[in-house]
Parts: sequence; C-alpha cells; structure tokens
Amino acid sequence: MGPDRPVSRAAAALVALAALTAGSLARGETQESQISALKAELAATQGELAKTQAALDALEKKVEALGAAAPAAQPEPAQQTARIVPVNADNPGISFVIDGQAASNTQGDQGAGFLLGTGELFVSAPIDPFLRGYASMNGTTEGKFDLEEAALVTTALPWNLTLKGGRFFADFGRFSHWHDEQLPFVNRPDSLNRFIGGESQAEGVETSWLAPSEQFFELTVGVYNSMGAARFDDPDAFGTSSGQRSFSELNYLVHPSTYFDLSDTLNLELGGSYLSVPTDAKRALYGLDVTFRHQPGTSEFYQGTVVGVEWLWNSERFDGVATTTDPVTGEEFSGSGRFRRDAGYAYFESFFGRRFSLGARFDYAENLFGPKDLTRTYSAFLTWQPSEFQRVRFQWDDVGIAGPDDQRFTLQWTAFIGSHSHGFAAR
Amino acid sequence: MASRLASLLVGVTLALASPASAALRVVASLPDVADMARQIGGDRVEVTTIAEGGQDPHKVPVKPSFVTKLNRADALVVQGLGLEHAYLPALLEVARNSHIMPGAPGYIDSSLYIKALEVPESMSRAQGELHALGNPHFNLDPSQGKLMARAIAEGLERVDPAGKDAYEAGLARFEQLLDRKIAEWDALATPLRGVKAVSYHPDIAYLARHYGMELVGTIETKPGVPATPGHIEELIQLMKQQKVKLVIREVAYELPLAQQVAERAGARVVTISSLAGGLPGTSSSYVDFIDANLRALVAAAQAAGGQSS
Repeated sequence: MGPDRPVSRAAAALVALAALTAGSLARGETQESQISALKAELAATQGELAKTQAALDALEKKVEALGAAAPAAQPEPAQQTARIVPVNADNPGISFVIDGQAASNTQGDQGAGFLLGTGELFVSAPIDPFLRGYASMNGTTEGKFDLEEAALVTTALPWNLTLKGGRFFADFGRFSHWHDEQLPFVNRPDSLNRFIGGESQAEGVETSWLAPSEQFFELTVGVYNSMGAARFDDPDAFGTSSGQRSFSELNYLVHPSTYFDLSDTLNLELGGSYLSVPTDAKRALYGLDVTFRHQPGTSEFYQGTVVGVEWLWNSERFDGVATTTDPVTGEEFSGSGRFRRDAGYAYFESFFGRRFSLGARFDYAENLFGPKDLTRTYSAFLTWQPSEFQRVRFQWDDVGIAGPDDQRFTLQWTAFIGSHSHGFAAR
Repeated sequence: MASRLASLLVGVTLALASPASAALRVVASLPDVADMARQIGGDRVEVTTIAEGGQDPHKVPVKPSFVTKLNRADALVVQGLGLEHAYLPALLEVARNSHIMPGAPGYIDSSLYIKALEVPESMSRAQGELHALGNPHFNLDPSQGKLMARAIAEGLERVDPAGKDAYEAGLARFEQLLDRKIAEWDALATPLRGVKAVSYHPDIAYLARHYGMELVGTIETKPGVPATPGHIEELIQLMKQQKVKLVIREVAYELPLAQQVAERAGARVVTISSLAGGLPGTSSSYVDFIDANLRALVAAAQAAGGQSS
C-alpha cells in the first residue's frame, strides 16, 4: 500500500468524472449540477494528492535519517604499525660521493691542475635487531683506493650504551671524524692534518654513553692501535705500526660532550677530547671544541650562522727525529725528544637564501716534532648548492709558510649518488 | 678502578635522571601531530614537539636536545610518508630507544590510513627530491586530519592499553570538533572551487583536491629543487595562458620570489603554512591552522577574482 493507493484513487476519480460527464449529457442533467459534482470530485482528488505528497516527504525524511544514523564507512584496519620506505632487505643503502677539484697556487708546485679529491663508496645496513654495519672505501687522484672504515655498531645495548668495533673514525674532537665531503671547507684544516693525521682513522673499539636526562651529555671512551689516517699510511714514522703491543702502548680516548639551547634560535655545543698512549707517557693529545649556532628557522634571506673553534695540544715523545737545528749552518741534529705543540682553527659560515653560504677560517698549525715550523692559513669560501645532492664551492687560502705566502685557489664540485642522509655526527 | 667507574656512572645516571612522570612521554615530529596527540591523549600524555610551525619540515635542524627527548620517549608520533626524512632518521640513530624505532609499537605513524597522492612511479632524482610513498603534505586537508587522528589514537592505545577508553573518548571529541569545523570550512571555501593557483612547493595537493582548486605549477623547478630562471619564465608564461591569479607561498619559503612571479603574471600572493602554528599570530592548534589557511586563501581568491573581473 502506501503511495500508490492515492494515485489509483485519482485515476478512478478521473474515470468516474468522464463517465459522469458522458452520463449526465446523455441524461440531460443540468449544467450546474454537473459542475458541482466535478468540483467535489476535484477537491477529493486534490486531497488525495496532498496526502500522497506528505507520505512521500515523510518517507524521504526517514531515508535521510537512516542514512545519517548509519556509521560512516570505516577504512580497513591497518595491518602495519608504520609506513616505512621500502628498502631491499638483502641490500644495504649505497651511496657514492664524487668530489672533483680544480686548483692553482702561486708557490711551491706553481700552476693549475685538476684532481679527484675523493670518490667514496659508502654502504650501510642493519645486520640484525642488535647490530648495524657500515663501510666506506675511498679512491683519490693519488691512485690509492683505501678501506677507510669497516665497522659494526650495536643498536640495542641497555643503559644507553653503544659499542662500535672495527676500523672507523675515532670520536676525537669535532671535524676529525667527519669525511672530507662533509666538511664545510674544500680541505681539512692543516691543524687537523698535522695533529690527527687527516681523519681520525683507527682500529679498535669505542663505547659511548648518553646520559638519561633532559640535558644532553655524551661520553665516549675508546681504545685503538693508533689514531689518524697518516699513522695508518706511515706507521713506522710514528712508531705505532699495526699489530700486537702491550696494553700500555694502545691509544686510549675519552671524549665528553654536551649541548645547551641558549634560546629558541641559539645553541652551544662543547666537547673535550683526551687521547693517551700511556707507555712512558708517550703521547697525550688534548682537544677542546666549541660550536655556536644561530638557527632562526626562517624563510628570510639570512638563514643562520655557525661559529666553530677547535684547539689541540699535543705532548709526544719521538725517537730518531730532528730535534734541533744549528742556527748558523742549518744542520739538523737527530735524537729523541718530547715535543709540546699547539694547533687549532676557528671558522664561521653564514647561510643565505636556500642555496648559498659564505664563510672564513683561520688555521694555526705547528708541526708535531722537530724544530718548530708554523703554518698560518687564512681562508674564505663560498658555497652554492643547486640541489640537496650537489654543491659547488670556491675557496681562497693564504698560506703563511717560510718565504712569500702561497695563494691557493680551489674550485670544488661535489655530488652524491644514491642513498644520502645527514647523520647526526655531521650536524 | 672499574668498580669506581661503574659506581660513578650509576651515580651520574641517577643524579641526572629526572623524577618519573605518570604521563606518557610523547615526542611529536611536527606541531600538527603534536596537537592531535594532546587533543586525544589529554592528561594521559605529555607531548613535546621537535619542529616548529614556521620551519620547512624538510630542513629541520638536528639538535642534540632532540636526542635526549627521543631517548626518554614512550612514543614517537610522526606525520609519515617520509616527510621527516631529513632529520628524524639521524636523531633516531643516536637516540638509543628501540621502543620508538620505525616498526616498533611506540612509533606512531599518522599516515597509516591516508591514501597518498602523487606516488612516484620511479625514484629518479632527475624528478627532484621525491617521497617514495607519495606526497606527505596531507595534513593541510582537514578531511585527512580525521584519518591522522584515528591512527594516532590507535597508536596511543597500543603503547598505553590502560588508557584505551580515554583515547577513544578523546578521538571522538576531536572527530566531532573536526566534523563541525569541516562543515563550516566547506561552506567558507566555496569561492576556492575552480580557482587556478601555483604554489611554491608541491604541498597543497590534498587541500586543492578537497576544495576543488586547480594547481597549475610550482615555483620550485622540481620538488625540493630551487627555481631556475628558465623555469620561472616558463611558469609565468603558463600562468598568463591559464589566467592563474593566485600564487600560494608557504611561510617557510622565500617571499620575494613569490612576489616577483605574482607581479609578472598579474596574480596575487597569499601566504599559508604547511604546518600548524606556522603563520604569525596563530596557535599550534590544528583547527586554528586549517582555519587560518582557508581564510587567507578565500580572501585572496575573492580579491583576485575582483581584480580580474
């Protein structure tokens, strides 16, 4: 029943009306009575139609109400707890860094030339739930292809501890454990080249502890055969060749570091490093690093500044090296001796727009042993980063050595192929 | 010597450890998900945020103070789809907290129910800095906000099952609020339907879809790749051909270039935020964020319409 009933009634009324009309004509009824009858039927029909409309409106409202009351279609329950960028389970993350340079200088080997600063392959992956591994292999113009790092790092030790073992860059100071392409300069400061021997390459173990507090405080301790890429390359020169030795001839490192948010946009990082070779107090290397950052997080043209200072003190005993020079004849006298030397650098880098940075650096580097030989270098550098994965950097160095200063000009072009992420250490 | 060192470490640990808090320690990667976690969790959660609203979510600085927050967190809430890839993996690697690593129960991904737009078919960097899982800027569309809230509530329940009722009630309240606001916003944003626009970064895809806007291009050459002069010329010509009257500049991106493009193409610049709290004078509330963005867009679209007529 329902809505079709009034419709059928209306149809019946129309039929009746037609019949009535025909009948009345036939019977000769008066026109007035016919009109009255028709009006009555029409009124009845209108009433039925109004009822039908009301019934239809009510039904429509019911349907709307039912629709509104029905629960909204729910998405399928999630079958996972996170959407993780798919990484081939069997293959590590792989990246390759290409760092080409064009350089010229005014002293020494004068002229211009090109060189491959570094071509570095980096692989990294979790090994199991408790361990990850990484390795870096580096080739340069000198034709050397070096396994710079091959290390294992724990990921699930208790008490906020992390253990690292293998060959890696020891956590000494600020820049000594950075790869060349991560530096804000074209080259590593001379102070680090002389005192650390380039990167802080080491074979050994290292553990670090993060204090479970709001205040960032990290303590790293390590023990290694030696530290510094130069000592790897020429171990005999430093008497720290690889192989077994007494415990007191190993290199021991302690490196505490902390950090302060001075405001929403200013922060300060402090670190101290101490490396010791205990036997006969052969070596004690102290380092202090301070990094101040202004990070306004703005879209304005000026986007922030980093100021960094690192200073090193080295006290080391060397055997069979030049200890003094005759001031008249220039003759060198060899022997054993303890040399206490200083080195360090200070720099700033300011960032502009989304692509540019400009900075300057001062470097002070004494030699580690022999008659004192000091190099002071003043540098300025400009970096343009067309995208996240490539940059072009120009650097001018004024190197103060014996004789006229050497003016060096270097244009560096660096690009990253493959997996590329900014690690915490290279912040 | 070893025992003394161990005692010292234990002592320092105890001294530095702050008193235990009853509330769930939640770290949020971005202010939008932080606000949702607060709305849903109420008193049961204590939420801290890593990035701020005005920052470019792709370039958040990696600060050691974030490491300590993550180290002590019971849960980490992220927007997801790789939006935090520039800073979060580096922080998590050193945070020493396996409970909040991706895939662990404490890693709460708000993108779980999002049907991603612009999922790349290939990951060639010739196409810019692509997100492998699709465009991660779904938070600008309030209808996606409901899906985000659901994923966050379920994540909080997973970490803190005892608070299930509270989180469900919090979710229901937040959904009701969003439903009411979405109805208002849908009415408010009627003038946006059919409006052609360019944005600085491709981060308004979801918003444009919801309100019927037509995106014609971006100031960036490719996602994450700064504009080149040639691209800007092509974009301006395209805007003139298509009669684009709106340049949408996200607050984390430079204004002068957006103004230059708009001026040369005969369009207007409107500044919006891609994160809650990004616009000056707005709170970090998700609702305020959507409200401020839509009001700015509608005002600019109406002004541009008047200008063009």
